[in-house]
Amino acid sequence: MRHFGQAMILMGAVALAGAWGGEVSWHARNTQSPGTIKTPSPAAGGGQPLSTRVVAYNIDAKFDPAKHTITASETLTYRNLTGQPQQTFPFHLYLNAFQPQSTFMTEVRLYGTRGNGPDEGWDPKHLGSITVNKLEVEGAGDLTGKMEFIQPDDHNANDRTVFQVTLPKPIAPGASVQFRIDFRDVMPEVVERTGYKRDFLMAGQWFPKVGVWWKNTWNCHQFHATTEFFADFGTFDVKLTLPQNEVTGAAADLLSSVNNPDGTKTLTYHSEDVHDFSWTASPSFTTVEDEWAGSAGTVKVHMLMSPGNLSSAPRYMAALKGSLKLFDEWYGPYPYSRITVVDPPHGGSDAGGMEYPTLITADTSWNMPKGALIPEVVVEHEFGHQYWYGMVATNEFEEAWLDEGINSYTEVKVMDELYGRNTSVLNFPFAQLGEDEQQRLAYLSRPDTDPITRFAWQFYGSNAYGGITYGKTATVLLTLEKIIGEDTMRRALHTYFMRFRFTHPTGEDFLKTIEEVSGKNVRWYFDQAVYGTNILDYEILNAHSDRVNWYEKKSSFGDDPKDKDQVYRTYVSVHRKGDFVFPVDVEIKFTDGQSVLEHWDGRDRWIRYVYERRAKIQSAEIDPQHQVLLDRDVFNNSYVAEEDPQAVHKLAHIWLFANEWLAQLIAWIT
Amino acid sequence: MAMKPKTFAAGAGLVWRRQRVLWWIYAVNLALGVFATRDMVERTGSVLNHSLAAGRLLHGFSLAAVIELLSRPDGPLTPGPSHLFFMLLFASFMLFATGGVLAAYYRDERLPAGSFFEACGYHFWRFVRLIVYFGIVLLPVGLLEFIAGKIYDRIDEKAISPFPAVWFFVAAAVVIVFVLICLRLWFDMAQVIAVGDDEYRMHNALRRAAKLVWNNFGSLFWLYFRISLVGWLVFGLALQYWKNYMRPESLFGVLLVSQFVIVFWLATRLWQRASEALWYRQHQSAVYESAAGPAPEPVPTPSAAVLF
Repeated sequence: MRHFGQAMILMGAVALAGAWGGEVSWHARNTQSPGTIKTPSPAAGGGQPLSTRVVAYNIDAKFDPAKHTITASETLTYRNLTGQPQQTFPFHLYLNAFQPQSTFMTEVRLYGTRGNGPDEGWDPKHLGSITVNKLEVEGAGDLTGKMEFIQPDDHNANDRTVFQVTLPKPIAPGASVQFRIDFRDVMPEVVERTGYKRDFLMAGQWFPKVGVWWKNTWNCHQFHATTEFFADFGTFDVKLTLPQNEVTGAAADLLSSVNNPDGTKTLTYHSEDVHDFSWTASPSFTTVEDEWAGSAGTVKVHMLMSPGNLSSAPRYMAALKGSLKLFDEWYGPYPYSRITVVDPPHGGSDAGGMEYPTLITADTSWNMPKGALIPEVVVEHEFGHQYWYGMVATNEFEEAWLDEGINSYTEVKVMDELYGRNTSVLNFPFAQLGEDEQQRLAYLSRPDTDPITRFAWQFYGSNAYGGITYGKTATVLLTLEKIIGEDTMRRALHTYFMRFRFTHPTGEDFLKTIEEVSGKNVRWYFDQAVYGTNILDYEILNAHSDRVNWYEKKSSFGDDPKDKDQVYRTYVSVHRKGDFVFPVDVEIKFTDGQSVLEHWDGRDRWIRYVYERRAKIQSAEIDPQHQVLLDRDVFNNSYVAEEDPQAVHKLAHIWLFANEWLAQLIAWIT
Repeated sequence: MAMKPKTFAAGAGLVWRRQRVLWWIYAVNLALGVFATRDMVERTGSVLNHSLAAGRLLHGFSLAAVIELLSRPDGPLTPGPSHLFFMLLFASFMLFATGGVLAAYYRDERLPAGSFFEACGYHFWRFVRLIVYFGIVLLPVGLLEFIAGKIYDRIDEKAISPFPAVWFFVAAAVVIVFVLICLRLWFDMAQVIAVGDDEYRMHNALRRAAKLVWNNFGSLFWLYFRISLVGWLVFGLALQYWKNYMRPESLFGVLLVSQFVIVFWLATRLWQRASEALWYRQHQSAVYESAAGPAPEPVPTPSAAVLF
């Protein structure tokens, strides 16, 4: 999920420019593509399952676009691979979060959410619900009356996003149990990535989903304002019945499409080795298709564009193909045979910037300037989640940094490679912004309230969650490159992906992989950067040169620059302002063109370097390679002996212009 | 009465002949701008002047560096109340100076400083009253903007395509800008009447101005619109030049282009006022000629040091 607290930084700049997107150069149509109907293909790998398939969902759903409701029956077959008998099973009912007294809404009211969420006041259009009308268990009969809402995180009795059911007898290890659940969804107007907007529907987290047995206990958290999802791998067989004019997309292979006499059609989908199923529908979509050849086979790209946004399709496609290529080269193969990109309509951006296995939602607008790379950033980010969430399926409730943070780091690497290091977010002649800078700015917005590893709903607020989970994690990993090297970091991520794909690894799995691949003990760094809230801030506290013979009267004209025999004693004091200990390089340059590179372990609070030379100090700089991005204040990292006000003058000229111009505008009323 | 064909050019000529008016107003605009900027220069200087990181702003324009400066606790780039104060001070100065400016343009002669400031003071309270009237007539425009905003939201909410709302926005903006230009034209004419005819009852000045503007709307609106267009055109071209051709390190270039825009922007506003003053004088002459009476004598001006 893209965190738009960060992206808002960019949106203002979007309004400044008026460039239009390019033209669509390939076939686009607004009908259901018959080319997408195919026989089920086992995932690459010779037909062998890629994952340990714990769940098998079989859902038959009917969508009523007029009422924005989905009526469905779900059959869930659960394999008990927990190694012990299981009698009680928890389920998520995510759509119940969109009710006034839910935990989600209470938290949204406290610290907001992104986009057009109900931060300011409750609006009935945001109401969403999922009602279980009947729950049967094979061999146990109707257990609807045994359903019990639970609130494991906050004991909010009004929260109905998790229920559990206790079976009459336990399910033995290795055995399976089949649940049959009849349910009805009322979709909200898009909020938190799901819902409708006019004739558009994005159906995400729309069906009862069983919790995950993890770390020897059930893991099934309530839905919070800052949390995402966690589920087991398995198969999905879904039948969707909806009006024939609807153009659909889903995170699955379309097996068949049958028109019914009542004006509806029934679409049959199948997917495997994934942990979620989402779908979208709108009669206004225009379909754009393409394909990409990767190391694991050909990937079909299915893009659904909303009215007015078609000019962004080539931009989406270029970013997607570039991301597919680089992830394939750097981290590992993309094993699925398809990827679907959904472009939400105007006003529906709350559905944008979201990831589901093999389906992502993008974000753009009809007037997106070419220099604002928001469509590219969003597509890259959500595609990255196919790796960090989709396949390496970490717990987004408890360790959000493992998907959002690592994904933000790879976003920097991929976007920089594709669009240039300092221009990968904004690329206007008058202003530029790079990905690493964007992540750093997000980190700076709330650098020290919470450790990265905190449970997502326990952060100080949504800004802290966003700034730390996304921005700080990316910045921590970028700074880690200084210690272990960029290539080693890439190899570590490759190893981590290949080792833990289709599993649920933990943060320690990730950190140990880095240590193993790098061959270095960097626990001291992780303790501060990952588990701690330490602030990293070094400064040049003092830097000056003094004549060694200072006690002798000097010329009334001051130092004689032609006196090459004059010896100066130069002092450079470096101060560790923050409590984050980090080794740094310090480069001192002298007026004779010579320079010295010092290395300080940073353990003491300060260090002073003293030199005696026939030259004075010109400048001193901490981290001259600009690798320690975690340093909170880069302006105090250097000291130039001779004042240079040029940058200030430039700012002043712009500031002056703005003041004069605005004053004239106000004077217009006179 | 139809506009004399050369009023557009003659107005520009009048601003050129009386360019001291322009330069003095620009000097005040500049001075207040410098005052508003001084604090920022000091605060930013303490952060940037001895830092190598300042290069991110000099060689190119790193948005990240600007945002980092903005978000610092000491807020060296954060606009303060003093900025608004100096802007309002300039607006107040313009309110005060308008009487003298219009007198200089209406009479088309170099006014001594004493006469200029006498005219400023003489008309000041009249123009304060006009501002109150202006505020009242702006209320319906505000209401119009509010209603247009609501309709825009409704169209945007309902329409499948984003473009109906976009086109409505463009249409609404055109209408609102049109209304604002009309109102400015009307009140500018009232100010000219107040100065030219020494009309002290502002409701009378407004009534007469409304009649005049109504009867000569096409030519007067076209006059104002063309001048506004020239102003925006030069503004846009200067920004394009700044964006595409200036080296990031060219401090003198930034100063030169930005101040050129400021002077030109100011000149176009004075051009509108000079053109309208000229038009009104020509109109008065025509009225008196048709009535076979002598043209009114201009308001006498006391002698003093020539300033404008």
